[in-house]
Amino acid sequence: MTVLAQLRFALAALAGHRARSLLMVLAMAIGVAAVVVLTALGEGARRYVVGEFASLGTNLVIVLPGRSETTGGPPPLTGLAPRDLTIADAQALLASPAITDVAPVVVGAAPVAAGGREREVLALGSTRSLLPVRHMTVAEGRFLPGGDPERGPPVAVLGATLRRELFGNRRAVGEQIRIGDRRFRVVGVLTDTGRSVGLDLNDLVVIPVAQAQALLNAPSLFRILAQARGPAAIAQAQDDIRATIRARHEGEDDVTVITQDSVMNTFDAILGTLTLVVGGIAAISLVVAGILVMNVMLVAVSHRTAEIGLLKAIGARPGVVLRLFLAEAALLSVLGAAGGLALGYGGVALIGALVPDFPVAAPAWAVAAALLVATGTGLLFGVWPARRAARLDPVQALARR
Amino acid sequence: MLLRDLYGMAAHSVASHPLRSLLTAGGIAVGIAAVTLLTTLGQGVQRYVLAEFTQFGTHLIAVNPGKTETVGMMGGILATVRPLTFADAEALARLPEVQAVVPGIYGNGRVSAGRRARSTYVNGVNHNMPEVWRFQVRAGRFLPPDDDAAARALAVLGSRLKTELFGAESALGRTIRVGERRFRVVGVMAPKGQVLGFDMDDAVYIPAAQALALFNREGLMEVDLLYRAGGDEARLVEAIKRTLTARHGREDFTIVTQNQMIDVLGRILGVLTFAVAALGGISLLVGAVGIVTIMSIAVGERVGEIGLLRALGATRGRVMALFLGEAVLLALGGALIGLAAGIGGARLIGALVPALPVRTPWGYALLALAVSMLIGLAAGVFPARRAARLDPVEALRAE
Amino acid sequence: MIALEGVGRTFTVGGSPVHALVDVALAVRAGDYLSIMGPSGSGKSTLLNVLGLLDRPNAGRYLLDGREVGTLNDTEQAAVRLHQFGFVFQFFHLVPRMTAAQNVGLPLTLAGVPAPQRQERVAQALAACGLADRAGHRPDQLSGGQRQRVAIARATIMNPQVILADEPTGNLDRASGEQVVGILEDLNRRGMTLIVVTHDPAVGERAQRRIHMDDGRISADHAR
Repeated sequence: MTVLAQLRFALAALAGHRARSLLMVLAMAIGVAAVVVLTALGEGARRYVVGEFASLGTNLVIVLPGRSETTGGPPPLTGLAPRDLTIADAQALLASPAITDVAPVVVGAAPVAAGGREREVLALGSTRSLLPVRHMTVAEGRFLPGGDPERGPPVAVLGATLRRELFGNRRAVGEQIRIGDRRFRVVGVLTDTGRSVGLDLNDLVVIPVAQAQALLNAPSLFRILAQARGPAAIAQAQDDIRATIRARHEGEDDVTVITQDSVMNTFDAILGTLTLVVGGIAAISLVVAGILVMNVMLVAVSHRTAEIGLLKAIGARPGVVLRLFLAEAALLSVLGAAGGLALGYGGVALIGALVPDFPVAAPAWAVAAALLVATGTGLLFGVWPARRAARLDPVQALARR
Repeated sequence: MLLRDLYGMAAHSVASHPLRSLLTAGGIAVGIAAVTLLTTLGQGVQRYVLAEFTQFGTHLIAVNPGKTETVGMMGGILATVRPLTFADAEALARLPEVQAVVPGIYGNGRVSAGRRARSTYVNGVNHNMPEVWRFQVRAGRFLPPDDDAAARALAVLGSRLKTELFGAESALGRTIRVGERRFRVVGVMAPKGQVLGFDMDDAVYIPAAQALALFNREGLMEVDLLYRAGGDEARLVEAIKRTLTARHGREDFTIVTQNQMIDVLGRILGVLTFAVAALGGISLLVGAVGIVTIMSIAVGERVGEIGLLRALGATRGRVMALFLGEAVLLALGGALIGLAAGIGGARLIGALVPALPVRTPWGYALLALAVSMLIGLAAGVFPARRAARLDPVEALRAE
Repeated sequence: MIALEGVGRTFTVGGSPVHALVDVALAVRAGDYLSIMGPSGSGKSTLLNVLGLLDRPNAGRYLLDGREVGTLNDTEQAAVRLHQFGFVFQFFHLVPRMTAAQNVGLPLTLAGVPAPQRQERVAQALAACGLADRAGHRPDQLSGGQRQRVAIARATIMNPQVILADEPTGNLDRASGEQVVGILEDLNRRGMTLIVVTHDPAVGERAQRRIHMDDGRISADHAR
């Protein structure tokens, strides 16, 4: 019997019990579709987060004041340490050939007022370098001027939301605003960035770092953002930063250096694991579907005892009978997997259409695994019934009705 | 017909195909086991996290400078033009029902004693800290009740830091340096372990005023209030809001109660547990399709029997009830097996990971049984209706 | 006791109507022994199904003890079947996974009789059919004649007024058939109305009243 003939035989047997076959295909399809949709969601979340991190800047190395020797704990996020991290510290980092640009950062909350309206927002003190390092763009006017970061004129760049709240449709660039009790002139407005992880770039005001230190009474920097020359230079940049700061801090190693990559990789790993776990839980349903296929095939073998007896009587070898039933199980699984793929990709497309910002996409490995597991369980669970059929004694099989 | 006989008959026909019934129930069992295991673990995690929080007590209120809308989750970490001060903390301490107040400022610094040094957490607090946070002192005493704004340069060591700096020697009365400042050690804390990733034992506790000077900072990061048990939390929150608004001229602070935190956390973790359970529920759905399939086959096999029952005087409803009963029995049987497997699995994980408080969620277990019964009913309806609608004459002829 | 008036039953087979019963009028008195004979497709089984409330006529009236039963709803008809009729089929229709005793007890179970009383009555019924020692056997462990006797025990367990037998000997050898007919006639002698559909003249001729059917009509009605 050729493979094609066997398949045709199996198909005919399945078509003879259309409702039952459809139900089994449905069961398999639910499992496969669940794996496809859920892993697509997980992968979408991963891509979204990675994309957000990439938008924060590339090859970033972040320096925090303070250090904790406890292993495994979170970094010293509060940014408070006995020795200040200074603008001079930040400028000194530029000496490293691995570092192309450095942006010192001071952050605080401050009320911003203009023309009778007031709004409490984040005040971000930095330098002109923040623009390229943090991948920001200016919509109106210009960004902070260059020059000595230790000084810096009283000028401010507004986030898009803050600009709208303070000025509405009026022109903002060139206007005077008050931040705390100090006066600033608006020189630019940032491009609306939509929602973003970390700081909300729309509802803040950016001012020169020296002005922010005076305004917030913050002698120490909150962070230093350093941009490495390239991915390969990140390790070198980290080493150089530690060496530079140690030299400037009387031999004391009192800063924490983290890389954007390491943070991103942590998220990447967490979300990747999550996707795997979610896909795995969904795949349990494939095992259930496999059990169902086995169950129904066992029923089919007992219903078709006479047919099997006849096949054997007219000369079918046990191997052929075995393969006939295996072909049925395989056909069910493959049809189920195909249906599940269609269902799953339909669901993914639907989600993609409903939430365009979310980069939902079924990862190839998950789809392959789902198909493999589906057909694999189908075949695996088909073996027992098929062997049962193959081992039937033809005389008894024909006698029983 | 007696209900007992109805189920007796259903059970009898379920038992007459042991392998088939077992496999059908097995599908449901896998689903229920997955849901049980996942919810048990989810609840374990939830309980673990909540225990981490409630160990500080539930009569806590934290006040941070800055409004949440502005600074997000960063709370008091950021500098602000209008910081919280010791005077603010004192004003809050005078409110009725407030038992104790801790002004807080947290950073990192290098702590050295003789030749040994360690970079660690530096927590600026006051004498009320052990009472408010429920921490225990192991040796010596905690910081004395000095005036918050002018406290002496005394320090209390976390147990791990004490071991790192002094080994087995006594630390009491010794002088340490935090940054460039000198402190006299007056006490050592009892070990507390990690709380949400922070090693509470690898820290030094100094007066908040000293910490402000050390970090060269003006404002407090946080003021923690402990109120009397049975106090009216909502009213107290209002009082805090009024007091601080009067002092600052505007509402430039954020109040978070421990109960809110626990509430929000509990809700998030509850949703996660539910989501995970729902994922496991996909298997239940597939298991239900299995029951539909097998019951359809059973109806097909037993057409003659259905015809007979009708001839003997069984109504359509009775025939339907019989087949529904079989479907429910299959689902319930599967659920029981699944529950046993799920609970067993959870216990095993609980034994392997002792930190995770795994307890069998009996509420969920009952729910699982109820759900599986519904699944049985839903899955049985289609085949059972087919059985009930068979024409008895046709059915009798089918044999 | 039974009165059919102008009963008609039409099936649709392959789009064209088939008249299985045409204007049938029949009166049966309590305690009658009636046989219905005729060629295949003459409508005799349909008549029996209509009499047993398994099938609904398209036309005419069916009075049972003066009560119109042809228009009763499904639940009411089921109750009538349960309490007033006993069925015996050509292919026995025993539930294969149940023992003889369980099969006989099925109507009692459906009627809601509690288990202890059930057992007693089942034992009596089995003994009456000479099957006291076969109570625990499943159908596949019984001979054809024994199976039909189990079916008769089941048909009589509710003490019905009427026994409806559809080719009761059709699947039995002659000796078993004799035995089965003997038991049925015995029941008739004790007052049960017996209606037997058969195409075996030897069986049909034994009845007191013999009805012949052709093309859905009663063509002859002889009484002894």
